[in-house]
Amino acid sequence: MDQILLQSPLLTPTPIWLIALPLLVAFLSPLWGRARWPLLFGVHLGLFALALWLLAGVQDGPLIETLVIAPPLGIHLHADAVSLLLVALLTFAVALVAAFLWQGARAPHWQSRQAFVLIMLLSAGCNGMLLTGDLFNLYVFIEIAGVSAYLLSALRRDAAALEAGLKYLIIGAVSAVFILFATVLTYITTGTLNLAAIGMAFADIPAAMQILIGLLLLVGLGIKAELFPFNVWVPEIYRGSDPEASALFSGVVVKAFLFVLFNLVFLILADPAVVGRWLMILGGVTMVIAELTALRQRDLRRMLAYSSLGQVGLITLALGFAETTVVAGGLFHLVNHTLAKLLLFMVAALMLSRASSGHLDALTGIARRLPLAAGLFVLGSLSMLGLPPLAGFMSKLWIMAGFAEAGVFWPIALILLGALLEAAYFFRWIALFYRPVPAPRLASDPVGLPTASSAVTWPLLVLAVLLIGFGLAPVLLEPALNLAAEVLLDRSGAIEAVMGVRP
Amino acid sequence: MLDALDTPGVHHALYAVGSMALFSIGLYGLLTRRHLLKIFMSLAIMEMAVYLLFIGLTTQPGRTAPILSDGLVEFAGTADPVPQALTLTALVIALAVLALGVSMSIRYHQLTGTTDVETMSALKDP
Repeated sequence: MDQILLQSPLLTPTPIWLIALPLLVAFLSPLWGRARWPLLFGVHLGLFALALWLLAGVQDGPLIETLVIAPPLGIHLHADAVSLLLVALLTFAVALVAAFLWQGARAPHWQSRQAFVLIMLLSAGCNGMLLTGDLFNLYVFIEIAGVSAYLLSALRRDAAALEAGLKYLIIGAVSAVFILFATVLTYITTGTLNLAAIGMAFADIPAAMQILIGLLLLVGLGIKAELFPFNVWVPEIYRGSDPEASALFSGVVVKAFLFVLFNLVFLILADPAVVGRWLMILGGVTMVIAELTALRQRDLRRMLAYSSLGQVGLITLALGFAETTVVAGGLFHLVNHTLAKLLLFMVAALMLSRASSGHLDALTGIARRLPLAAGLFVLGSLSMLGLPPLAGFMSKLWIMAGFAEAGVFWPIALILLGALLEAAYFFRWIALFYRPVPAPRLASDPVGLPTASSAVTWPLLVLAVLLIGFGLAPVLLEPALNLAAEVLLDRSGAIEAVMGVRP
Repeated sequence: MLDALDTPGVHHALYAVGSMALFSIGLYGLLTRRHLLKIFMSLAIMEMAVYLLFIGLTTQPGRTAPILSDGLVEFAGTADPVPQALTLTALVIALAVLALGVSMSIRYHQLTGTTDVETMSALKDP
């Protein structure tokens, strides 16, 4: 930290602040007192603005922020049009969750200082994962984000939350061992940890070693990015954690890991077509299995978890195709899924604070008690399954149009099948929320906690407006997404920016 | 007579085989044990195997530690310092995760009286 602060003038807006500021604010947490939640919200809004400002400056080429020594010997941050776009998305998502917690969280475990520190560290870790240009730093940031996520999952400290936290920690540690193993083998065979330098040297190492490193990374990152068959743990953890924490896992952490996975694929492999094809198959299988399993879920959080897996599969299917239009559509869908899943999980948080459990029976007729929340749930699920004019429709259409243009039709069939299954289970839940219930069952609010003020709904309304806005005018995002897709696929450009030579 | 064994190739092969054996033991434990603490021990063994491989394969017999002391004034004949620095970092992280896992297991045991992952099923679908 000291070195970093000495290196760069304190007040210039550089990418390092996206990582350093959350860490600094987290470690100074005893100073903040009761201003914690406004601060969490304010810091992330500021980081969101910083990311947008930096994004405007990297239209022509990436910004390489060197720490201490120049790459490839030293460590650098690689801020380009796609990583900054995702940083902007994730900081915005954290800001909205912070606003929701600020206005709505009345449970003691969310009032604690730990919750504030953990969300800050989670955000620092995810931003670091997106921005770093060094393989070992990537591992460190993955662990920072991971440990904060395990603790957020167990924050409630009852048996269910601890079970979720322990399971998350064990599966996360397994993933970390595999990622570390791949890092070690990469250093032994290429002699470097700089991602761009690895990109240049990777083709020269023996094919068997390439496959081994690739498989280790696939298992390690596949666990965290929730890809089949490494994702069986997800529903249990989403169910045991509070929905506010699950919103962060599904909306923020998973997206950071998806980016890391595809960034590595496109940066390291000279010809990503074969690996991309396998990832597409993996994504397609993830989607179909998850959507089929979601059909018979009887717990709201588990249903949302499986829906999240299905969407991750769809995004993987699109990004694996490695073709600019489809990848841009995939990134658009990634944005939309974050917005819609945040909305759905926060609505779930509201509903769970008024119902005795997340089970089907306990939530029957909830729309009469929480009309606005139920309405927002409908909006979020319609965007999720892709109904016009919502954002989810535009991104699915964009992806399918890209596939059709390329003459590849099996993914389109899979996406339509997935949308059909999504419609089936979301409409089942919606019908249940609006089912009329005999009066006595509505008699009283079961939980003794004070109910949240109506101000809690404004982060939800912001998300709803964005989902409608991006659906009506996707042109708002189109230039940024197209550029991000080009940059993500432009291997030689990324390597040249760091190494000074074209591969 | 045994000098022939004191070559980098033999050393590296021994380290590679030894650490892979250790990794397999850890993986086996992870997949077959049900006690929470034994699972954490298996994870620690897997991590140790990776560190051993890293340190073992990036140095050679006769190399010294990359530290300027004992009259040493330049970095000649020293081992590559990067793996050692990385392993130290990774050790600290692994220790922190392990301590967190063990303390969460203790709390879980206090609440439920169980340490068996097979019986942890409160989150399965009813």
